[in-house]
Amino acid sequence: MFLLNPTSGVPLYLQLQQQLQQRILSGQLPDGAPLPSVRELSAQLHINPLTVVKVYQNLEKTGFVETRRGIGSFVSHQSPALRMDARRRQIGPAIEQLVVEALHLGLGQEEIQSLLAEKFLQYQSQSGTKPNDE
Amino acid sequence: MMNDDEIPILAQNVRRAYDGPLVLRDFSLSVKKGSIYGFLGRNGSGKTTALRMLAGLIKPGSGEVRVLGFNPFTAGAAERQWLGYMSEKATIPPNTRLRSVLNLGRALYPTWDAALVDSLLAKYGLSPRRRFAALSQGQQRLVGFVAAIAPRPKVLLLDEPAANLDVVARREILDDVLALIRDCECTVLFSTHILSDVERVADHIGILSNGSLRVSESLDSLKDSIRQVHCFGFKNGIPREDLPGSFRTVRTREDLTVTLRTDATLTPESLAQHWSCQCESRALGLEDIFVELSLNQGILP
Repeated sequence: MFLLNPTSGVPLYLQLQQQLQQRILSGQLPDGAPLPSVRELSAQLHINPLTVVKVYQNLEKTGFVETRRGIGSFVSHQSPALRMDARRRQIGPAIEQLVVEALHLGLGQEEIQSLLAEKFLQYQSQSGTKPNDE
Repeated sequence: MMNDDEIPILAQNVRRAYDGPLVLRDFSLSVKKGSIYGFLGRNGSGKTTALRMLAGLIKPGSGEVRVLGFNPFTAGAAERQWLGYMSEKATIPPNTRLRSVLNLGRALYPTWDAALVDSLLAKYGLSPRRRFAALSQGQQRLVGFVAAIAPRPKVLLLDEPAANLDVVARREILDDVLALIRDCECTVLFSTHILSDVERVADHIGILSNGSLRVSESLDSLKDSIRQVHCFGFKNGIPREDLPGSFRTVRTREDLTVTLRTDATLTPESLAQHWSCQCESRALGLEDIFVELSLNQGILP
């Protein structure tokens, strides 16, 4: 299920697009996995079908999804290098925010790096679960 | 100019008065096929008059109105059956039983979907034996809604469908509108003051002000472009002059907050460079966007 907040300043299509992208990049939706139809997903999320169409089109343009006419949409096969690039882009805004916040608080690169290392350790020790980047 | 097939709802330079000042002045609107268009505006801005005119109940004083390519005021039954309309106020005689109202609809509309009506009435807990006057105001609105969508129209005009409805019923009718869109290529224009409903389902919004449409834009592009930018740490002091084209600027002794529309050249980063300061920006929900647009564009009742 996707969690959408219609009253947020982030447009619905972008919320859905980011969550789908996240699932593809994390492997939760593997290569070749079928995506729900526009009809299904718009009914399930109670949103305008045009919003879902827009998301699928955008994901097609960025190479995450391919649509086979009359059959449906699928997670497309991508090279590991491309996937890696996409993962880096996906985490970009979170890093940006971290750096801006650090600068405001007067925390330097070294301090942030040691804090990050600490957090990584903490999560890795918790049975290897990955944190959500929300 | 796109053809009627792509623009099922169209008004051009419409004027209309009721024995006095103009209620609509140079009102133009076009709604694309398959769109759900949220029609916003302050009380008294002319939304009900515009919807009544599109429904063919009143005639424009001048200008042109086309719905599915026909003139709704002069159209015959064969054309009008594709136009669903839910009025702001119920016009059903109080003593009528629900069943008689629905039978009338069935007789009038060849495409009336009786199975859909039964399922909706059951969902909303409305018995066909009830008399109209015995229903609550919210239930009367639901009857109006059921009657408007029962013929499976290609154009659906809803005047404040959410008025007097509880939040659960509101969600349900939004879902029913979405189901209609999925099943029969319907185009929807609805007026409302409940902006969270608009954000949930609408792809386009229009704001009516003093009888003419001031803003008509896709909701995504509004949310993508309008930003509130908080600027601080000015190296050369806080600028006294407002940014040209910005919406609203609030200054304190140490910082400045400006709402603006970003584009390829104007971004929070370019602003930080321009003013030699630091900037953080946030996106706004529709409620804030509506207020900002209203203040900036002088949106009147």
